[in-house]
Amino acid sequence: MLLQPFLQQCRRRPEAVALVENDRYLSYGDLLARAQSVATGLQGLGVQPGRPVAVHLDRGIDAVIALFGVLLAGACYVPLDLKNPKPRLASIIDDARVHAIVGLGAAPAWLAANLWLDIAACAEDSLKPVETSADTLAAILYTSGSTGQARGVALSHGAIASFARWAADLLALQNNDRIAASAPFFFDLSTFDLYAVLGAGASLHFIPASLNLAPARLSAWLQHHAINGWYTVPSLLAFLAYKGNLAQTPLESLRFLIFAGEVFPAPALINLATCLPRTALYNFFGPTETNVCCYWPVERERLSADDNIPIGLPAANYELHTHDETGELWARGPGLASGYWNQGRLQPFLNEAGWYPTGDRVTLANGEYRFHGRLGRMLKCSGYRVEPAEIEAVVNAMTGVIDCAVVGIDDPAAGQRPALALVLESQTPLAEIRSALIRQLPSYMQPVRCIVLEQLPRLPNGKLDYRQVRALLETQP
Amino acid sequence: MKEKLKTFIFSELIYHEDPASFGDDADLLEAGLDSLGIMRLIMFTEKAFGVTLPDTEIEPDNVHSLNALEQWIKASGQQQ
Repeated sequence: MLLQPFLQQCRRRPEAVALVENDRYLSYGDLLARAQSVATGLQGLGVQPGRPVAVHLDRGIDAVIALFGVLLAGACYVPLDLKNPKPRLASIIDDARVHAIVGLGAAPAWLAANLWLDIAACAEDSLKPVETSADTLAAILYTSGSTGQARGVALSHGAIASFARWAADLLALQNNDRIAASAPFFFDLSTFDLYAVLGAGASLHFIPASLNLAPARLSAWLQHHAINGWYTVPSLLAFLAYKGNLAQTPLESLRFLIFAGEVFPAPALINLATCLPRTALYNFFGPTETNVCCYWPVERERLSADDNIPIGLPAANYELHTHDETGELWARGPGLASGYWNQGRLQPFLNEAGWYPTGDRVTLANGEYRFHGRLGRMLKCSGYRVEPAEIEAVVNAMTGVIDCAVVGIDDPAAGQRPALALVLESQTPLAEIRSALIRQLPSYMQPVRCIVLEQLPRLPNGKLDYRQVRALLETQP
Repeated sequence: MKEKLKTFIFSELIYHEDPASFGDDADLLEAGLDSLGIMRLIMFTEKAFGVTLPDTEIEPDNVHSLNALEQWIKASGQQQ
């Protein structure tokens, strides 16, 4: 169902280039053939429709083959962030209750070999047809969870397709478009690349990871590949436009840039808009649970360095409303996730009328929404969403820790960084806590500052005084 | 210069339990220095040492260790 537009493109133009990664490329027809052989392999392992299958591959051609193979088998993919430490990956694989793990080559020693499917060994295509509906789950994307563990957001075929159709129309994607891709597949941004772009018959060009820290070579790459559009995170665009390098790179082909995932600081956006006067810029907004529920086509003349940019109007056929008392944004529409995936089961999170409370504080003025931060404690760190409670749960489980609190301190460039206040038993060295954290949590969740206190500050009602904790961490030299 | 850079990096950009033990050739990118960190490091460097670091030279090779950074900054200073 979700792959219908892609399958149509495969029938119409099987020779057209679908994917480009360094000097390797794959046509629509070949991508389909490879994905069908993976789907056949999954059926051979006994994977039933609707069951979760982990994908143990980094962003790139092989990962797309694997993801599409999972969908063609009617199953639901769980993309793994391979930069995560093994214990966290193992807990995700366990929580998802995956029925197979798709990768390349031999299975890593720590994984169950009987679940492993090597895509290079999938040659046979005898796919038995499977039925999927709009409600069938297509993907489970794990993000940081407030319960102390990674949490899976379960997205249906219908929800992703709804966003992909809307985005393809908005950007008027054509089959001769060349779109750059940098989003890892465990981020919801990737649904644009996979389903809007490949559903339109355009080609997807993977940005080599080595360019992420070399802005001049990155803009030269965009120019050389005559890229027409790119959906990415503000931090990467801010880095690209920093020092105005883009102003010396014409990028005539670049029709649009979309950004989402964190707040784009206005001065950096003004910098980008000045460098690229002819490129349409779009601010997409929404938590993973809604994918994109709100968007603002950037109006350059309205940008001001000391004003947060609007998140704009409802997107993708969403209905939005602001909760009277809390100012929380509520969303209802076809793009909503089906719920959270918890220990192999779907837990719907919608209330009876189908509204999802996003946890985002907004205001509505002149028909336009603006974002004013989160109601809960969630942080945005290098584009990743981080629940302080997940870090706290990991720290509290360590021997020698009496109490701890994690807060976000603002990063002057963009987003926040986690910071940790600890109460330790007298013999526990901080270094030990630190190295245990490195073993258990990915780098974007590592506290940028740590302090050890006699006790944590509390409010008169006994609750933790996070404001005070934050003040202590911010003033720490 | 290296000490100043080190103090800034380990107080503002990445946490390390014992910066003193972090070698001049140790890998900063592996330790968690990312694109945002590099931007802030460049802003700091230009202000603190009065140099201009050209964007075409913002490369992993120039920022991956304290020694690489120092070499890059010194070379940029001499060209001005």
